[in-house]
Amino acid sequence: MVFDRIQTGILIIDPETHTIIDANNHAESLLSIKKDKLIGKICHDFVCPAHCGQCPITDLNTPLHNTERTLIAANGERIPILKTVAQASIGERTYLIESFVDIRDRKKAEKRRIALLAYLNESVLRIKKPLELTGENLRLIEQQVGSGDFTTEEIRMQIRLQFNNVKTMVETLQDLASKAAEERDDIPENFREFFIGK
Amino acid sequence: MSSLADIFSLNLSPDTKLYLLLSTPQDINAMSLMVVKKILEVKCTPLVISLNQPCQVLAKSYAKEGISPDQYYVIDAVTHYSGGTCLPNAHTRYVNHPADLTSLGIAITEFLHQMPSPRKCIVFDSVSMLLIHIPSATASKFLQFVVNKLKISEVSGVFLCVENGLDPTILSQMSAFVDKIVNYDEQKNPLLSKHGL
Repeated sequence: MVFDRIQTGILIIDPETHTIIDANNHAESLLSIKKDKLIGKICHDFVCPAHCGQCPITDLNTPLHNTERTLIAANGERIPILKTVAQASIGERTYLIESFVDIRDRKKAEKRRIALLAYLNESVLRIKKPLELTGENLRLIEQQVGSGDFTTEEIRMQIRLQFNNVKTMVETLQDLASKAAEERDDIPENFREFFIGK
Repeated sequence: MSSLADIFSLNLSPDTKLYLLLSTPQDINAMSLMVVKKILEVKCTPLVISLNQPCQVLAKSYAKEGISPDQYYVIDAVTHYSGGTCLPNAHTRYVNHPADLTSLGIAITEFLHQMPSPRKCIVFDSVSMLLIHIPSATASKFLQFVVNKLKISEVSGVFLCVENGLDPTILSQMSAFVDKIVNYDEQKNPLLSKHGL
């Protein structure tokens, strides 16, 4: 009863046959399958992607404590989870108690963080450094004007080049900001519109 | 990091060498000029791929250093882009836009065939300016294409870039396909860089 109220999936597994003995409500919900269809099934290839003979606990003797693993739902969806497996004795028999927490939201947040870092990185590469270079080029053009060695057309061409480059950088920045905003649903609608430029 | 002297003591043929030269934005134009001078000193013909300055301006800067237009070749990707007049010249090819990588690639291939000198070295000025016009992933692929072409043609190459202007991924890719990475600032001030200043 208590186990049916917690937000952690729990499966009780027979270590010898790898059959599922029991499951709580949250495990049912995550696996998208009713308990009566779950009990008696072999865990390999059903809820766990490990193949027969390669069970991380009973065959490979790998301890699992809050380890990132994948859960296979009945609809084939692979759900990232944090899994812990412990042994427990019930009566005279030993069972495996698998508990797992859904970490899809955490994974999504990680992806967003990586996307944001990629955005910042690309902005520095394609805007900050070229802007510094453009500033330096403008300083050189200023010197050229004073030197009298360069024609008006040569000076004009260079100023136009720097102008076009700055224009391209502004467009790139706008484009990067739009992409970053489109991929984030945690930005308020009016801010997203502002970033996207609509 | 290799020493700058090492770059230009190189025997450009048959040992093809590829370098990535990093500098501050303040030094990159001086570095570009110095590289061309050094290439000429070792009796090699430079092919400058300019995404930074129109060839007319380059010609004046080079002339001030005693370099005549028949000593080098230029692929100019910015004159047309800046609304200038593309004056026909046997030593110059024009590309309409710095992001026109197809035309840039064709111009490099054709010029490398056309240049009579047995010892050639391209100067790519600069990777940082290329990044204004195309995403870093595309730039990385294009640079890899150029490097492969140079290796096949046994031509040396110097790629100029503003320091810290490359992300770790591109830098690690560039490190894999260039022979040496040289920091111009460290070479200019060896004592300061030795003390981490």
